[in-house]
Amino acid sequence: MEFKDFSLAFSQTKVGRFAKDLAEGRIMMTVCRGCGKKYYPPRADCSHCMGSEMEWKPIKGEGSLVTFTKIYVPPEHFALRQPLMPFSTVQFEPCPIGILEVEEGLRIMGWMPKMEIQKIRVGMKLKASPQILPDGKVTIVLEAM
Amino acid sequence: MKRVAIVGIGHGKFGVRSDASLRELTFEAVKACLDDAGVSLKEVDSMVTGIAGDEFSLALQPSAQVHDYIGFYPKPNFRVEGACATGSMALRTGWMNVASGLADLVLVVGVEKMTEVPTSVATEIMGRGGDSMWEYPFGTTFPGYYAMMANAHMAEYGTTEEQMAMVAVKNHYYGHLNPFAHMQKEVTLEKALTSFTVAHPLKLFDCSLITDGAAAVLLASEERAKTISTKPVWIAGLGLATDTMRITERESLTSIAASREAARIAYQMAGVGPADIDVATVHDCFTIAEIVAYEDLGFCEKGEGGKLIEAKETYVDGRTPVNVDGGLKSKGHPLGATGVSMAIEITKQLRGEAGQRQVKDAEIGLTHNVGGTGQVAAVHIFRRE
Ligand SMILES: [Zn+2]
Repeated sequence: MEFKDFSLAFSQTKVGRFAKDLAEGRIMMTVCRGCGKKYYPPRADCSHCMGSEMEWKPIKGEGSLVTFTKIYVPPEHFALRQPLMPFSTVQFEPCPIGILEVEEGLRIMGWMPKMEIQKIRVGMKLKASPQILPDGKVTIVLEAM
Repeated sequence: MKRVAIVGIGHGKFGVRSDASLRELTFEAVKACLDDAGVSLKEVDSMVTGIAGDEFSLALQPSAQVHDYIGFYPKPNFRVEGACATGSMALRTGWMNVASGLADLVLVVGVEKMTEVPTSVATEIMGRGGDSMWEYPFGTTFPGYYAMMANAHMAEYGTTEEQMAMVAVKNHYYGHLNPFAHMQKEVTLEKALTSFTVAHPLKLFDCSLITDGAAAVLLASEERAKTISTKPVWIAGLGLATDTMRITERESLTSIAASREAARIAYQMAGVGPADIDVATVHDCFTIAEIVAYEDLGFCEKGEGGKLIEAKETYVDGRTPVNVDGGLKSKGHPLGATGVSMAIEITKQLRGEAGQRQVKDAEIGLTHNVGGTGQVAAVHIFRRE
């Protein structure tokens, strides 16, 4: 499992284990050992105290929805190069995305494959979980608890 | 610091300019600008070029192409980039050159050639203006980001799809009166509301256009300005501010913090407040962005932006006329050119040369230009005297 299996474009980073953790069922954050600041997405370095000693910790993915959308006009990468688009096999099928606040200041972006756009509401209680896709890539989904 | 004035303006035709390359678009705007000022290029000390995307221009240093084409060598050229706020960053850089005393006469050019690549590729390039490492894996696009802001604003303040469509109606109305606009066509509320969804809840007419275009202004020190122009427009305040790369880390999704901070700095520097602004151009890359801008710039209270457009207070005869040149929405949004084009509109308004779109006795104008999803924002204030 490479970081690129999550990011689609990048593989070289100090926080590459994030993708492997996702594949093993955990959404991880980093916490600065120097000042305690929590980072999601995880970072190798702390911009709060400029320290680089980080601890990896799992995030409990339960929270409330901050906002959402459903993109009908996709970027070229998602529209053409199948099967990179999650939850779609042959043709591009739009899928809602949202931002979940799991605790003060920590927000997770994810796909909402099982939800109808008209029924999604800001403030809904949802859970963020890792998901392995049929092509072996990993991503994050937001679902009802 | 020296005072700096705009003494020349040149606006090319915005649109799908399949007839012209990046450098040729630039030439049109530069020629018009020098003609307006009555100055020859030989008299200009240096040049700042705003171009947002190497990907759009398929070049590593597109600014060298335009610099070469207008024949400005061996004088200096600075390329500036700040996504959709590139043009205002270029203007600010030009201002720094003159205010510092380094140069007396500086040409500021903004240009973008966006339609050489297919729309889906352009959508992808723009989408990567978000965090290409952490957000792009979720298929984010520019409309997608602003759609998320729209849903948050609707949930918190009850802003409606109709109010957003009213921004489109206004901006298309003024765009149809602007000969440089990409889409010189009016749109009805019904048509705007029934156009297809790009990113829920934003529909086609909530979105600005993918446009080719160039704009140029000539900046001068006070001494030079007095010899060149009888109607110099002074740059009275400049604010530039930044925010997090990812929208997931923003303090608020119903406001652009960088806009608020940039506005605070610019108002303070100019010694004016929101009520003093006679005319403004704001960053309406999406209709929701114009509503949020009303609030962030202090033209109304937080959450009241939807009501402000509903009351038509941002039309030419309203309390604070906004985007009466058509805005990004109808005039088009060639990234690097947009901020410069905004300054041109304000210059025209303060000179009293805006024709049918003229705001009566406009003395103080404001431009507001946002880069990306709000990673950077620039606010500039201009005065007639
Ligand atoms: Zn720290």
